Amino acid sequence: MEKTRSFCIIAHIDHGKSTLADRLIQHCGAVEDREFRDQILDSMDLERERGITIKSNTISLEYTARDGETYNLNLIDTPGHVDFSHEVRRSLMSCEGALLLVDASQGVEAQTMANMYLALEHDLEMVPVINKIDLLSANIERVKEEIEEDLGLDSDDAVLCSAKTGEGVEDVLEAIVNQLPPPEGDPDGPLQVLIFDAQYDPYRGAVLLVRVMNGTFRKGQRVLFMHTRAEHTVEELGVLKLKRQAADSLSAGDVGYVIAGIKSVSDINIGDTVTDLAEPADEPVPGYRESKPVVFSSVYPMATDEYGELTKALEKLKLNDAALIYEKDSSQALGFGYRCGFLGLLHLEIVQQRLEREYDLSLLLSAPSVRYRITLNNGEKLWIDNPSMYPDPTTIDTVEEPFIKAAIMMPDRYIGSVMELCRDRRGEETSFNYLSAGRVELTSEMPLAEVLFDFYDKLKSTTQGYGSFDYEMLDYRVTDVVKVEILVNTEPVDPLSQLVHREKARARALHYCDRLKDTIPKQQFKIAIQGAIGGTIIARSTINAFRKDVTAKCYGGDISRKRKLLEKQKKGKKRMKMVGNVEIPQSAFIAVLKSDTD
Amino acid sequence: MMATMLGNEVHGDTSTRAGLYVHVPFCSSICPYCDFSVTLAGEPRRAQWERSLLDEAAMYAGHGLEFDTVYFGGGTPSALKIDRLARVVNGLTQRLQIHSDARFFIEVNPEDVKPESTRAWRSLGFSSVSVGVQALDDPALEFLGRRHTADQARRSVTDLLGAGFDNVSLDLIFGLPGQTRSGWSGQLREAARLGAHHLSCYQLTIHRGTIFGKRKEAGLMGEMGEWPQAELYRLIHEVLGTAGFEGYEVSNFALPGHRSAHNMKYWTGVPYLGLGPGAHSFDGAAKRWWNRRKVRLWQRDIERGCCPVEGEETLTERQRALETLMLGLRTADGVDLASLEKRFLVDVIRSNAVTISDLEAEGLISRRGDLIAPTPAGMAVADALVRAILIEEVEPEPVPVIVPDVRG
Repeated sequence: MEKTRSFCIIAHIDHGKSTLADRLIQHCGAVEDREFRDQILDSMDLERERGITIKSNTISLEYTARDGETYNLNLIDTPGHVDFSHEVRRSLMSCEGALLLVDASQGVEAQTMANMYLALEHDLEMVPVINKIDLLSANIERVKEEIEEDLGLDSDDAVLCSAKTGEGVEDVLEAIVNQLPPPEGDPDGPLQVLIFDAQYDPYRGAVLLVRVMNGTFRKGQRVLFMHTRAEHTVEELGVLKLKRQAADSLSAGDVGYVIAGIKSVSDINIGDTVTDLAEPADEPVPGYRESKPVVFSSVYPMATDEYGELTKALEKLKLNDAALIYEKDSSQALGFGYRCGFLGLLHLEIVQQRLEREYDLSLLLSAPSVRYRITLNNGEKLWIDNPSMYPDPTTIDTVEEPFIKAAIMMPDRYIGSVMELCRDRRGEETSFNYLSAGRVELTSEMPLAEVLFDFYDKLKSTTQGYGSFDYEMLDYRVTDVVKVEILVNTEPVDPLSQLVHREKARARALHYCDRLKDTIPKQQFKIAIQGAIGGTIIARSTINAFRKDVTAKCYGGDISRKRKLLEKQKKGKKRMKMVGNVEIPQSAFIAVLKSDTD
Repeated sequence: MMATMLGNEVHGDTSTRAGLYVHVPFCSSICPYCDFSVTLAGEPRRAQWERSLLDEAAMYAGHGLEFDTVYFGGGTPSALKIDRLARVVNGLTQRLQIHSDARFFIEVNPEDVKPESTRAWRSLGFSSVSVGVQALDDPALEFLGRRHTADQARRSVTDLLGAGFDNVSLDLIFGLPGQTRSGWSGQLREAARLGAHHLSCYQLTIHRGTIFGKRKEAGLMGEMGEWPQAELYRLIHEVLGTAGFEGYEVSNFALPGHRSAHNMKYWTGVPYLGLGPGAHSFDGAAKRWWNRRKVRLWQRDIERGCCPVEGEETLTERQRALETLMLGLRTADGVDLASLEKRFLVDVIRSNAVTISDLEAEGLISRRGDLIAPTPAGMAVADALVRAILIEEVEPEPVPVIVPDVRG
């Protein structure tokens, strides 16, 4: 155990986390140079494309340090976006230390702060690493000052490196060995194993990624999952090299994987503690927080016959996306689907893209919503997160909506515009205090619904990326909500219906009408788009018909080129839904959810 | 080799004879908007082209097709010296089965129309001529990089009519930056007044890789907006309609009896053979193929005794149905949906009932029974019409099984 170090790397997006991870793996010889693929840990297409890490991946490395000893280093990769703080937390729980990566030219940024606070919450030892020192624009002295002032860490401990050139990578490894503590825990104590992630193997079922906190975990052992109360037998366990490597046992301080014949999703709860069935531990591993879905949206397959595949895909996705929740739903226009709960809008978008890419599904999502508490005139209370379930307004006594306490940290020069933003989002009790010279924390009590709709984007642009944002749920407060419907050529498009505060209804309806106008392709006739409350039209826009849409020459006998173009266009129609006689592309449903500033 | 290309027999409508297209890739200058296979090469390369073209024709000898239209397009066929053109015409007649009544077409540039060449073309058997006028307005001609003036263009048309060509067609381009309604309708009226039998009006399209394409990428020019384009297009039908022309295809307008018999073949599923670089062919059934575009590569293949084909495809029933629909919706004759369904085993009428009546109500198509045809406004959006109409494959009907009644 003395020779083990478990750590993660935390950083602002784009500060070079994945590149550093690759370099550490390469240095430890876990992979041959010729088979080395950049950014090995970001294995999903989506992650590579967006350049951000969504899913945590873990690898164990062997490093022979300058003191001549060989250490076992467990690198736990973490996502870097505020939506995923839940996943970051799980990963942090399995570490003793973290590398806090800062870009030598960009300096300390919003996400660096937010993640550092998360790491502090879990008592992790931190080593600041200044990356990209090879850049001409690198300003190491300034970054050191920021590390001292903004983060309160000792900049003398900071390691300088360039993950790109490989310079200083060995110093990083030495710092891991020398500055981070070995794991604690009793290999002979009662078994406590933390599940911090899961993967799906088509042949083996669920593969759990675990950290053994106490005790020794053996092949063949009968175990109990403490939260779900499920019982299983350990079929295989081992460590994670680039591939899985089976072992006979894992003991306190070890990080590895477990296969226990688990096929059913409901048996797994990421963050759960596994213990011995016969001699269980008294308590599960503390610090586990349940994920709280705050955004709800219905997901429908574009083709109704893909419903079964959607069901299977969600089950598998749920395995390594603990935060996702879902239940059956149906729509008159779109047929069967699922009502899903997400951590935020980015989470929603990523789940959608993963379903589409990894499971080859084509989907439609309804406008996202929070969950309202409704009291009817007869005293009955309802929870509504789906506009289609919204009762007749004349039967409603009161509607309450969830409020959050938002905490926004930023340099003080942005305070005026951020306060303005909070006021615009119906923020109450907005106040601020200075954390240190030039840096303030602003708190505001806001309806969660106002945060759902492009708040992150607005905050990011208002503070030029320096504002970090976190929130906690407060309570439910009385509100005045109306159901806004969107009509296309007088037909209601039910996935676009939404519950909105009365004051915001017109602006939101206008935004939807404009967005649809930009994303629904022109057709051979005029298309009227309207926003309505009850029978009253509150917003409208019009898409004019085509007047000219024809290839000039179909000449010289080259018919093939023209036909192929048409075939491509016709194929695109499969990703459209007919509402009345209007084709609405999937992109229109996505675009309306986006901010009007991007 | 050729047998695999064209098949041993012709599957299409055998009552209609095939069309022969000959691509002459030579020009005296390259127009800034042109994306055809063209080159400025001199006489030695032209001599090589002549040899290769006749060798290519020989590859298709004995395939069983009989041609009743022969079309020399380009490039600039009128830039060929008369003796070379004569050798090609005679050579083709020797190698291929060209019907004695076949109609010969040639594309010419106004600056090449001279009394001696006009006479020679007539005596070689050309009776239809298509003149690359492009504009009857000097600034526009200069913008298009043409080598003739508006006056030269007018004179060439008069001379060709005088020489006895019975179908004189003019090519015009519209949608030039800054073009006005009155300027364009003036040109159309003048073209009709000059006595042209046929007009092809093409909208200026900026292709990548052309000089205009590069200017567009650099942000120096752009295509005209959709609405002004639509207005200029509408004017063609209006002005030429008044002058007695029928808009029988999206870009083609003819006095009665003067439709282009050759080009009609492309649009109605008749077989055609294309010779020369970049030329396209169709066997009348399901096979399309096209030649190498680069003159050098086309020639090299032929010199090695291989077929200079760059690509080919065999159409599925559904693709043939789509082509028939697409081409039909570009012509005034339209497309008969009932016979389309029968020929290709698809469903169109039932699955598009609402769309079709919507399109009719919008004034984009007219309908007679199961025959639908685009109106002038419909031709302006022909691509959108085809996109709107879905073609569904039909499961073959099960053969009814008759169960004998055993109860007596």
